[in-house]
Amino acid sequence: MNKRAIQVQLGIGACVACVFLILYAIPYWISAPSNIRNIVLSPRFWPYAIAGLTGLVGLGMLFAGRKEDADGTPANDPIEDPRAGLMRLAGMAVLMAVTFWLLPRIGMVWASMLAFASLAFLVKTRHPKTALICAVAVPLLLYGFFAHVAGVAIPQGEFVRLP
Amino acid sequence: MSVIDNLMAGLALVGNVDALVSLAIGIVIGVIGGAIPGISATMAVALTLPFTFPMQPINGILLLLGVYKGGIFGGSIPAILIKTPGTPASSATVLDGHPMAARGEAGRALGMALWASCTADVISNLALILFAGWLASFALSFGPPEFFALILFSLTIIAGVSGESLLRGALSALLGLLLATIGLDLVYGTNRFTFGDPNLMGGLNFIAVLIGLFAIPEVINMVWHPTGHMGKVQTLGSKWVTFAEYRRCFRSIVRGSFIGVFLGAIPGIGAAPAAFLSYSEARRKSPNKANFGKGEIEGVAASEAGNNGVAGATLIPLLALGVPGDVITAIIIGAFMVHGLQPGPMMFVMNVDIIYGLFIGLIFSSGLLLIVGGLAIRGFKPVADIPKRILMPIVLVLCIYGVFAVNNNIFDVGVMFVMGWVGFVLSRYHIPAAPFLIAFILGPLLEDNFRKAMLMSGGSPDVLLRGPITWFFWTLTLIAVVAIARGTLDKARDKG
Repeated sequence: MNKRAIQVQLGIGACVACVFLILYAIPYWISAPSNIRNIVLSPRFWPYAIAGLTGLVGLGMLFAGRKEDADGTPANDPIEDPRAGLMRLAGMAVLMAVTFWLLPRIGMVWASMLAFASLAFLVKTRHPKTALICAVAVPLLLYGFFAHVAGVAIPQGEFVRLP
Repeated sequence: MSVIDNLMAGLALVGNVDALVSLAIGIVIGVIGGAIPGISATMAVALTLPFTFPMQPINGILLLLGVYKGGIFGGSIPAILIKTPGTPASSATVLDGHPMAARGEAGRALGMALWASCTADVISNLALILFAGWLASFALSFGPPEFFALILFSLTIIAGVSGESLLRGALSALLGLLLATIGLDLVYGTNRFTFGDPNLMGGLNFIAVLIGLFAIPEVINMVWHPTGHMGKVQTLGSKWVTFAEYRRCFRSIVRGSFIGVFLGAIPGIGAAPAAFLSYSEARRKSPNKANFGKGEIEGVAASEAGNNGVAGATLIPLLALGVPGDVITAIIIGAFMVHGLQPGPMMFVMNVDIIYGLFIGLIFSSGLLLIVGGLAIRGFKPVADIPKRILMPIVLVLCIYGVFAVNNNIFDVGVMFVMGWVGFVLSRYHIPAAPFLIAFILGPLLEDNFRKAMLMSGGSPDVLLRGPITWFFWTLTLIAVVAIARGTLDKARDKG
C-alpha cells in the first residue's frame, strides 16, 4: 500500500464514519433530554460537531490523496511472509481475548504466566528457557509487589489461590 | 518577620538529616514508581501517603513532594527505553526519546531528560518561591470561558505533533475527542455510547488508553514482524549527553520550564499538556525542525522541561490558596490536613516556617533528583539489554498488572487490549498517536468548560470573549492557526 492509497482509504473511512455517526450512532446511542432549549447544551452537540469535522477532514484527505504522487513505493516495511504475519496477528488477538476471559477465572498470576509463555512462543524466542523462567517469575514478582506492597486486590481466580 | 527571618526559620526546620533523608527516600520511591508503567507518580504518592502519618509534618510533606518530583522524572525512563510512558506526563518524551533509544543512544536521551528535568525543577521551584501569591491570584480569576479559550489554544499543539501530515494528525485528534465523549454526559448525566454497560459510564480509563496506545502496539508490531528489530541497536550506548548539547538545548529547556510553570499554576491543566506544548514550541523554533519525531535530543529536553516545570508550579495554588493544581497535589493536600495544617493565605501567617521549610526542601530536591536520577538510569540499563522477544512479553504482563491496579478493574485491561489494536492500525496507516492522546486528555475539559460557559450565559456565545484573558488566548489561538496554515501551505509549495 503506497502513501496515496493510505490517504484515499483514510479519507473514505473518515467520510463513512461521519455519515454513520450523524445518521445512526449519535441519534441512537446518545440519549438527550427532550426539553433542551439551546442546541449547544445538548449532550449530542459535541459529538455532532466532532462528526462534522471528521467528514471535513475526510474530504480534505481525499482531495490531498488525489494530489499525492502514486509512486508505488510501499509506505510500510515489507515482511518476508505476510500470510504467516497475519496468522500471528490472529493468534495475538486470540491470546488477548483468552487472557481477558481467563483473568477473573484462573486469576491474574496464572493468566499472565500463560500469556507470557504463549507470546514468547508466538514470536519464536531464541531463549526458550529464559522465557519460561521469566513467564513464572515476572507475574509472581508483580503479584508480590502489587498485592503485598501496594495493597492492590489482584484477582486470584477460582482454583489455586496465592498467599 | 522579614524574608531572611522566614528563611532562617525554614532552614531550622529542614536543616537536619531526617528531612533530607525523607526527601531522598521520596525521590527514590517516585523514580521507581514513575519508571514502572501503570504505577504513575499519582499512585506512588497515594501509596506513600499513609506512611507519612507518624512522621513530623515537614518530613512527611517533603517525602510526598520527593515522590511527586521523582515520579515525573521516572516516567521518562520507560518512555525512552521501551516506548511506554511511565506517567501521562512522559507521553511527549516518547516522540524523540524512543527513536534515540532505537539508534542506540538511550543513555544520551536519558541523560538529557535528567538534566532538563533538574533545570526545569529549579526554575519551577524558584517560580514557586517568587511568584506564589501573584500567579495564584491570576489563576483564581479563570472561569469556564477562560479555561475554554486556554484549552482551545492548547489544542493547536496538535499541529506540532502531527508529523508528516496535518490532516492525519487532525483525524487522530478527532478520534481521541470522540472516544473522550464515552460515558455519562457531564451536564445532564445521560448515557453517551455506553451501551448500558456500567463500566463505560465513567468513560474510558485514561491510563488504559495511554498504555494501550503506546505500549501494546509495540507488542503487536513484534508479533507481526518478530525479526524486524534485528540489526537495530537498542542499548544505552557509550555516548552520554555533553555540556555542549545541554547548552544547545538550554533555550528550549528554559522556555519549556516557563510553559510548565505557567500551565502548572493554573489548576487542572497538568503536566502532559505542558510537555506537549513545550515540545511543539521547541520544534517550531528549532533549526533542526525536520529531525523532531525522529530522535532529536532537543525534543527530549523540551518535553522533560515542560512536564517538570509543572511540578513546583502546581504547589502555587495549593500553598497560596489551598486549591490543588492536579490530582497529585490533591493527595498532598490530604497530608497537610492530616497534620493539622490548612494550606491557604493564612498558612503564610500561621505556619510561615513550614512554607519556607518546604521552599528550601524543594531547592534541595533538584540536586537530589540529579543524583538519584543518575543512579536510576544506570540501574535501568539492564532493561535496554533484554532481548526484545523476552522484553515484549514482560511489557505485556507489566501492562496487564499496571492497568488493572489503577482502578482494580479487569474491564480496563480489555480497554487496553482494544486500544492496542487501535494503536497498531494507526501506526500501519501512519496516523500519529500523540494528537489522539492530547485530544483525549483535553476533550472533556474543552467540552465541560464550553458547556459551563454556555450555561452561565444562557446560551450566548459572547461569554467566550468576556475579558482580557479570553481575548489573550483567542489571539494566541488565531496566531497559532495562521502559523500552522502558512507552514502547511509552504510545505505543499515545496513539494509541488
